[in-house]
Parts: sequence; C-alpha cells; structure tokens
Amino acid sequence: MHETLNTTSVGSFPKPERLLEARRQRRQGRISEEDLQAEERLATVDVIRLQEDLGLDILVHGEMERGDMVAYFAERWTGFEESLPVRSYGNRYYRKPIVVGPVGPAPELLGVGAYRAAQALTDRPVKGMLTGPYTCCDWSFNAHYADRRALVLDLAAIIHEEAKALDEAGCQYIQIDEPALSTRPDELPLAIEAMEIVTAGIRARTISHICYGDFDKIYPDLLQLPVRQLDLEAQNRGFELLDLLARHPWPADKELALGVVDVHRHRIETVEEVERGILQALQIVPAELLYIDPDCGMKTRTWEEARQKLTVMMEAVARVREAVGLL
Amino acid sequence: MINTTVLGSYPKIPAHAGASVRQAIQRFDRRAIGPRALEDVFVAATARALSIFAAAGLTRITDGQIRWNDLTDPVVRDTDNLVHGGLQRFFDNNFYYRQPTVVGRLQYQGGVLAEWTRLAVGAATRPLKVSLPGPLTLLALTDDKTYRNREHLLADLIEVLALEAASVARAGAVEIEWDEPAAVTGAPVDPGEGVAAWTALLGANPAIEQSLAFYFGPAGQWLDRLFGTGVHRVYVDLVAEPSLVDRLSREPLPFEVGLGLIDARNVRLEDRDLVSRTVSAIAERQGSGRVWLHPNAGLEFLPPDRAEAKVRWLGTLAASIDRTQPIEEEGRYPHA
Repeated sequence: MHETLNTTSVGSFPKPERLLEARRQRRQGRISEEDLQAEERLATVDVIRLQEDLGLDILVHGEMERGDMVAYFAERWTGFEESLPVRSYGNRYYRKPIVVGPVGPAPELLGVGAYRAAQALTDRPVKGMLTGPYTCCDWSFNAHYADRRALVLDLAAIIHEEAKALDEAGCQYIQIDEPALSTRPDELPLAIEAMEIVTAGIRARTISHICYGDFDKIYPDLLQLPVRQLDLEAQNRGFELLDLLARHPWPADKELALGVVDVHRHRIETVEEVERGILQALQIVPAELLYIDPDCGMKTRTWEEARQKLTVMMEAVARVREAVGLL
Repeated sequence: MINTTVLGSYPKIPAHAGASVRQAIQRFDRRAIGPRALEDVFVAATARALSIFAAAGLTRITDGQIRWNDLTDPVVRDTDNLVHGGLQRFFDNNFYYRQPTVVGRLQYQGGVLAEWTRLAVGAATRPLKVSLPGPLTLLALTDDKTYRNREHLLADLIEVLALEAASVARAGAVEIEWDEPAAVTGAPVDPGEGVAAWTALLGANPAIEQSLAFYFGPAGQWLDRLFGTGVHRVYVDLVAEPSLVDRLSREPLPFEVGLGLIDARNVRLEDRDLVSRTVSAIAERQGSGRVWLHPNAGLEFLPPDRAEAKVRWLGTLAASIDRTQPIEEEGRYPHA
C-alpha cells in the first residue's frame, strides 16, 4: 500500500471463455454447481494474479460468480423472480429481476464467501463487493411493493447483514455499489437513509461506486452519502466531472476514487491523457484522499483490453508519483 | 373507436424461439456468421415485432427499432460531423446510449434510416410510423464540441431532423413521432425555445403527419403551448402524470391525444376497469376517434415475454373499451 494515490479496480473482470462455456452448460443442466464453482475459482486466481502483477494496491475478486450485479443477489434472495433478458446498451443484456413478494435474505450470505476465497489468494487487501439497496430496487421491476421506499428499506436490512458478515470476516474495504443513485435526485435522501442502514456499525472502510449519472443534479448533496469513499467515473466524459468537483471544497473526511480509463470503449487510453486527468484531480483532492481506478467494472472488455487499460493506469500513476514526488 | 399504437422500440430478442439479434451480433463478432446472415436476423426480428403488433390489432405501429442501438443512433449515422461518443445513461433508466458528439458543422447525409424504413414499410401490414428524437431531446443528449452556441446548434439540428423526417416519409412512413422526454424531465426547458423549435420543425414538412411524444415526466405544462405548432397528435405519459387524466377528461384539445396508460417500465398488467374508465372519460371529451391508447414509452425496457404480453393486453383493452363506446368520430374541440 502507498500513502497516496492508491490504485484499485471497481469490481468485475472479463470472464474467460472457459467460464462462459461452463455457465452456459450449468444453465442447461449439463454440469453441476460444483463444477461451475471450480471454474469460477480458477478464473478468480487469474484475476488476482493479474492485479498483483500490475502492482495494484487494493484488489477485487473479479465477480466471476456473478452475471449481473443486481440479478446475482436477487436470484438468491426471496421475493424475486428471474426475467428474460433486457437490453442495457449496445448488445449487452441483463436479467432484470421482478419483485413478486416481500424480499428476504438467501439461506446463505452471498458476498462473504467470494471475499474469503479471494483474500486467501493474496496478501494485499481485497474488497468485499455488494450492490446497494437503492440500485437493487431501481434495477428491478417492482410488482409487489406499494412504494419504492418500502422496498429500498427492506433491501437495506438484507444488505446490512451482508456488510456485517464481510466486516466480521476482516474485510478492510467494503464497496456498496449504487450506480442508480443519480437517476432521481428527489430520491437521494432515501438512498442516503438506506445506506445509513447498510453501513451502521461497520468498521471497515466503506466505498460506494456511482457511474453514468448526471452528477450535476446530486452534487454536492452526494457527499452526504454515509460512506468513506466515493468512486466516480471520469474518463467517459473526458474528466468533465472534475470541473463539477472543483466548484466545492473537497471534504477532509471523504476519499475519492477516480475512474481514469473508459470501460465501454475498445480504445486504449494513452498514458499521457490519464496522467493529465490525475494531475487535474490532484488540484481538487489531496493525494492521500485520492484513489485511482477504471471508470467501472471491466467485464465488458476482453481480458487483453482490461490488462492494457490497467497497465496504462498504473504507468500514469507512476509518472504522477514521480512528477509530484509522492510516496 | 379507440386507436392503438406503440412508441418506438421493442425487444430485439424472442420471448421463446426465433431470431435473436443479440445472438446474431455475438456470432457475427466471433466471425461465426457473416453480414448476410446478420442482415437476415434483423429482417426476421423486425418481422416478428411487426407481426406481434398486427396480431394485437394495433392501429399504427413502428418497426420496433430493431436495428437501432438507441433513440439517437440513426440520426448520428445520417449526419456528417455528428459521431457516437461515450456511453451515457438514458434519463432515469438502466439503459445507456452513445452520446451524439458534434465535431463540426452538421450536414445532413441521409440514407440509413430511410432504407431501414423502406424495408420495414415493405414488411408491415399496418400503417407504420417512425419515432425520432425531438430537437430538445437531441440537443439535451448531445455533446457539443463545435458550435458553443446553443441557438445555432438547435437551429441546425432542426434542419437536419426535418430533412430526416422528409426522407423517412418518402420511404413510406405515415407519421413522424418526435420523442421529447427531455422536455418533461430534468432541468426546466425554456417554453419559448421549445415552442419555437417544434413550430419550425413541424412547419418544415407541413404535409407529413407529425406528433410529439412526452414520456418519463409530466407534459401537462406543454399542452396549451402546443396549440399553434401544427402538431397533429400529442402522446402523453399518464403513468408519470396520472393527474393529467382529469384535465383531458374536461378540456377538449385541438389535436389528437395519445394516452400512455400502459406502463412500459413495469411488468404488471394494467387494471382493465381503471384503463377502461379513464379512456372512456377522455374519449367522451376529446372524441373517441381522436384518442389513442399506447404504452408510455418504448417497450424495449421490458423482457420480450412481458413486452409481448403488454402488446396483447393493449389490444385486448382497446377492444373491450370499443365494445362499451358510443360511435363518436367527431372531435369536440370547438376550433377543430
């Protein structure tokens, strides 16, 4: 770990073809759940090794067991029904869950096992990865609850138990993703209230990743979200986000993880453009509060693209360290 | 008679078996199929959407936008110096579009959407309309790196859109539906700018039947302002703005009105009695032939089985309302 400009990833990594084939076969009932999990473990090892080789400070397990960040949980919690796929962009689809009854937890906790398995593979800290209650609500069809608030708060109670289990397992960084947070500014107080439930009593450093939103509408109110670190995408819009952040003093009790490579384009960024973005961010956020990562999860890239983008990110961070004299 | 239609998009994958654009593109990307086979799938998936609409007895249909990546996609393809940029969230949905990015003065090129429309019209058994982004929405969704002048960019966008409308009308579309979610969501829009933009746009092609579609937010604020624009029909989102029902039931309008009562963003099927009462009350005031029932947005927000169920339910609801309606074809607006 460095004292400044720590590097990390947001969550997902590309699934190898072998795992994709195993997932297809599992859906068709041609292999067992144990066989699938064995493939997921092998792929997780590769994800951890790649991050170690590139020198990242805080690792992710790569979400090899998850197809979609909401559906993975919803398909295991009670009260949800699986749907056929819905398109999210381009040729990307996800199974948008349908809430058909009161939501409740799965028989087993869902996040802690993946965390433990990945953490056992490395000495570096691995994040515990959860999806936030507001996003779980917003990215599901609600065919049961009379209002969204009731659904969000019920989900918050379930996700709190997941966060607590990660905390008790020794996880140092718990990320609760809320990419839907910016979609309805009038519901930001609800999202904050729900996050208070999720993070209550958690000792680990808490993070929330938010992306592809209209931050103009929710900033600086977003700073009220009760997490230690906000993880925001910036490369996608040419670091315009920084102009918005610069309008308000950055609070001393918040960390910023800045997305510096676009995860939805094949193009590999240049080291220089990423370096410029980081240097611009350092004008706003002190280096000890600034983390560097990609814009979002990398599952839509090929393995080689993900490797190249992370390599560029790490080279840019190294250059900035040298230029500014950071530890 | 209550007219029925859909707004814009429809799922590109089958509910059960059949042509899947998703699988075809995946196979195309892996070089497992070539351009001919991919084209065949687009044709087949479009035919499926058209047949689902026809089977439900819809009065007017779209091609389901099976070939489109998003609402702005064909306009970008058809316009020089407008290019696909970064991925952005489409309003408050978990759906993302490639942001149109202006890299030089816009020049209309055309060709793509006209050809797509020609193919769809040739396959359709019902009158077909085309949905396009309205000028305010296209402006709101676009990243301007060239003009640095909102007024000038809007003026050029209007001219480009008018040329696009003329081209798809020549290809056989019977209506151009201008989608304007940006006018009813997010930051307030200058009413004067909006009305001037629509008046200029609609006026450029007076012989073409043109409508405005407002969804994801309340459109009531706009209705009075649209009286002089020449708009033929206004589609409103009554899921987002249920309070508008009362006004539409009391006040005759000088244009036809579309009632977005079918929720395109929730799988629940609408209550038959509630829809029937609502449509009947509005039809009594507006004239039944001047009222359209439709989903409140494109149906691609739903899984394919649920989208199909919504279309069938739309047809069923309209038929049951028709059985209870007195025959009334004349509008009741005093100046209509």
